[in-house]
Amino acid sequence: MNTLTVKDLCKTYIINKRQNNVLKNINMEIRAGEMVAVMGPSGSGKSTLLYTISGMDHLTAGRVDFFGQDISTLSPSEMSEIRLNQMGFIFQQMYMLKNLSIYDNIILPAYQSANGRGKEKRREINDRAKELMHKLGISEVAAHDINEVSGGQLQRACICRSLINRPKMIFADEPTGALNQQNSREVMKELNRINAEGTTIMLVTHDMKVAAKSDRVLYIEDGNIKGEYTFGRYGGQEEDREREKKLSVWLMEMGF
Amino acid sequence: MFLRILKKDLKRKRTMNVILLLFIILASMFLASSVDNLIAVSGAIDRFLEISKVPDSFAIALSDGRTDAIDSFLEAQEGVLEYEMIDGFNLINGDVKITECQADAGRTRYERTNTLFIGKIPTNFMKIYTEEGGPLTLKPGEIAFPRLEADNNNLQVGDKVSIRVGGEVQEFRIGAIVKDAVFGSSMMGFKRLFIGDEEFARYARQENVVHTRIYNVNFADEEKFRSDWRKQDFTIISAIEGAGVVRMCYIMDMLVAGILIVVSICLILLAFLVLRFTIVFTLQEDYKEIGIMKAIGLKDAGIKGLYLIKYLVLSVAGALAGLACSVPFGNAVLERAIANIVVERTGQNLMVKIVCAAAVVGIVLLFCYLSTDKLRKISALNAIRNGSDGERYRAKSPLKLGKRTRMRPYFYLAANDILSSVRRFGTLLVTFCLGMMLILLPLSAANTLQSDGIISEFSLSPSDAYVDTGKGEAYTVDMDSLFHDMEEVESMLAEEGIEAVTGADMGYMIPCYTDDPEDCVNYYVLQAVGNWDRHYSVLAGREPELANEVMITEMTAKELDAGIGDTIHFKMADRTEEMIITGTYQSMMNMGQGYRVSRSAQMDPAYAGGILCMQVEIEGMESEEACERLREIFPDYRIMDARGFLDNMIGGIIEQIDTLMYFIVVLVLVINSLITVLIMKTIMAKERGDIALLKSIGFGDRSLAGWQTARVLLILAASVVLGTVLSNLLAPYLIGPIFAMMGGTSIELVTGTVEAYVYYPLLLLAVTGLTAVLCAGGVKKVDLKEVNDIE
Repeated sequence: MNTLTVKDLCKTYIINKRQNNVLKNINMEIRAGEMVAVMGPSGSGKSTLLYTISGMDHLTAGRVDFFGQDISTLSPSEMSEIRLNQMGFIFQQMYMLKNLSIYDNIILPAYQSANGRGKEKRREINDRAKELMHKLGISEVAAHDINEVSGGQLQRACICRSLINRPKMIFADEPTGALNQQNSREVMKELNRINAEGTTIMLVTHDMKVAAKSDRVLYIEDGNIKGEYTFGRYGGQEEDREREKKLSVWLMEMGF
Repeated sequence: MFLRILKKDLKRKRTMNVILLLFIILASMFLASSVDNLIAVSGAIDRFLEISKVPDSFAIALSDGRTDAIDSFLEAQEGVLEYEMIDGFNLINGDVKITECQADAGRTRYERTNTLFIGKIPTNFMKIYTEEGGPLTLKPGEIAFPRLEADNNNLQVGDKVSIRVGGEVQEFRIGAIVKDAVFGSSMMGFKRLFIGDEEFARYARQENVVHTRIYNVNFADEEKFRSDWRKQDFTIISAIEGAGVVRMCYIMDMLVAGILIVVSICLILLAFLVLRFTIVFTLQEDYKEIGIMKAIGLKDAGIKGLYLIKYLVLSVAGALAGLACSVPFGNAVLERAIANIVVERTGQNLMVKIVCAAAVVGIVLLFCYLSTDKLRKISALNAIRNGSDGERYRAKSPLKLGKRTRMRPYFYLAANDILSSVRRFGTLLVTFCLGMMLILLPLSAANTLQSDGIISEFSLSPSDAYVDTGKGEAYTVDMDSLFHDMEEVESMLAEEGIEAVTGADMGYMIPCYTDDPEDCVNYYVLQAVGNWDRHYSVLAGREPELANEVMITEMTAKELDAGIGDTIHFKMADRTEEMIITGTYQSMMNMGQGYRVSRSAQMDPAYAGGILCMQVEIEGMESEEACERLREIFPDYRIMDARGFLDNMIGGIIEQIDTLMYFIVVLVLVINSLITVLIMKTIMAKERGDIALLKSIGFGDRSLAGWQTARVLLILAASVVLGTVLSNLLAPYLIGPIFAMMGGTSIELVTGTVEAYVYYPLLLLAVTGLTAVLCAGGVKKVDLKEVNDIE
């Protein structure tokens, strides 16, 4: 079953009293457990595509089915429920609430969900948060303020937060865009591990090395999906060089 | 270039600039109206007494309208610079009849609140003014009423009354409502009606009509005059008094004005708070841009100049708008406080307002200068980082979500935000706290005046009903008629099967001294009469029981320099009575001065000054029922319960405070709502990124609105508690002195009532909460994509 099915998706902005078609009749599918990267030049509509199909932005025309449910017809509160329990988001900037510690930022969505009420359930959430932080190697900064940790640690904390409610799909907008190479590698390692555990991921990136670690790459230009490159399942670091080479050639063909 | 940047800034940051403008308008409005009102009220009574030409001293006595002993005494006094006698007549209830009343068509019965006097329009001393503050002129057949008497009988200009003096009855049309400086205050138990010379002459030409004469005196040496006066032993209705006592009688009116002063000070404080909050907040918004300007090489002075110009434009626009709003706002606030006083509203008032508005502009620029000045010390990079140097070693979050097993996240976020940014939310806390205090302090005064026990503080023993037979002065001449009326009330009630006892307190104006017979003071001596064996509250010692025992008020004890066990002397025409002081008490009658003697004390009826009322105690009946039954049986008498009687005595002040309370409550609710909207909008404008982030992780609009609302409600709840505690602590110092000046030296203020602890807090929570809920609806307008606006 597809996690996400997009049909004839259009997105139009009116700028200076003129219509701008940012996305033009997009059709695509993302299968359960798949990791899909979206690449393209600046202004091609990559982020708009991610925000529109994740329900964070309204679409102008078309349909987006998330596990068979057309999310474009849902009310804001129904959409909030889906975002809370079935979707996870990771942004380029590591957005977190300033007044909360790293740990509290992570558990906040879980406490907010219907499963987060009651002493016993909250104990389970705390256990899960600790386990996630341990897996992502940020246990020692749990009590820290968000200003006291590195960008990589903060992005891993954001990943923990996106995973806390066991989402069916994660949307990541340039998750390594603000990180150095070392941190970038660590974050991608975690995303690959999460994906291997069964979570569907769609990510937008400029970085070929990041895209090469996904199962499939979509190339978008001027609001259209111009091409698609399928690698198959990511097998580990030893495949990186080969995958990056192939992707590089394909992207050149696409005009990237 | 600066102008271009300014124009773009005003356009681009429209929300924040509009909010800043609104706060400046609010601050200018509060400051201009409050300072103007403070000036108007603080000197108003002195100015009123001055323009009315209140004499150094005055006394009231009965006369035959021709010559009298006081006149001769004043004539012979060398130290008297100027004196004048104002003639008139005392009126009792039956003397005045309403013949036409627009507000109450069927009403014919006139009920006087105090001793009523009718005379000519004064031209020298004790002048009167119309409600607009102008001189009074009456057409033939017209009469002028003071506000308190008119209100008490639902009378207004155009209504008609007939007045009988001796055998002469004349009908008058009410031509004006007037302000009488000497007798117009709530506490003054003497009220004057004014008629034209011709109409007055018709009354005066009658033979054998007793005149009431007011003696006005200006003297060179007060000490000598008073000493000579005390040696005279004149029979008078009211002792020789002066402007000081007149001023004191305005205490109750000043209570209302005092509340206005407190309201004004709070509003000024609020104005500064909101200004500081907005300027600091809006400038923090611009830190990033200031950093960028620094980074591209703009000099500090240039950046500061840019902001000063922006704030100058905004503050001048806001101050002008605030100045315009301050006129109706200030008048609305002042109107209730000066009902009995003439307040001069001259061009000077506008000048004061303009100065205040200019001060707001100056303060805004000063705050702006100081805030931007801080940026001089911060590097461009740190400014870009919103003033933070990026180095922090301690977790900021004061509450740990992981440790909350039940708390809902939106509530946690609200509580955590407040504790994390106490200064940011301090403005709301102070505003709400001041609002609560503004309600509770006058409420405490009103509740104290309406409490069951307060009647005891007016030298009376509480009873079920208080009866004004309308013959108060007549009883002084013929005391047997009082006993007759009391017996009649008891027997008529007995016929109805109602067991009742009656009583009254006769007041005697007897000169009293401690050691020197020539150094007397004249205060009322109260003595209980009737069948009802009553007890009176004492502060120290005990009630007088024997014929030569007396208890005195604490203020009189101070004046006489006497205490329990000492002896004082009552100097009567044929004898001097030695009285031993057995106790002290407090009384809010006669400005706290007086004595009470036992029932067996021998008082000379020639000194009788009247009774306050006849009191009735009915077996097995509540006050309300007792009053109702008495009204049925005695339709000609005025029957009052404790509150009605007290209201009558202190001139409707309770009603005035009640009205003022409604005004204050509405004012507080409006201010709370306004500040809530402005601060919520301001904070939400800055938190759009956080709201979008919470939306992106699955928070629904309801939770987000709950977060924003909970913050306001939590602050409000804390303010209610803090305001209540502060009010209870401060009430004895702020409200207590007003009662103390009246003689209530040890009054226990009523604070812990259902109204104070339940009704008003709930009302504030409901209205402010509703405002916050409506305002929090703005979270719906935040787009998820604004998550990228997080700083």
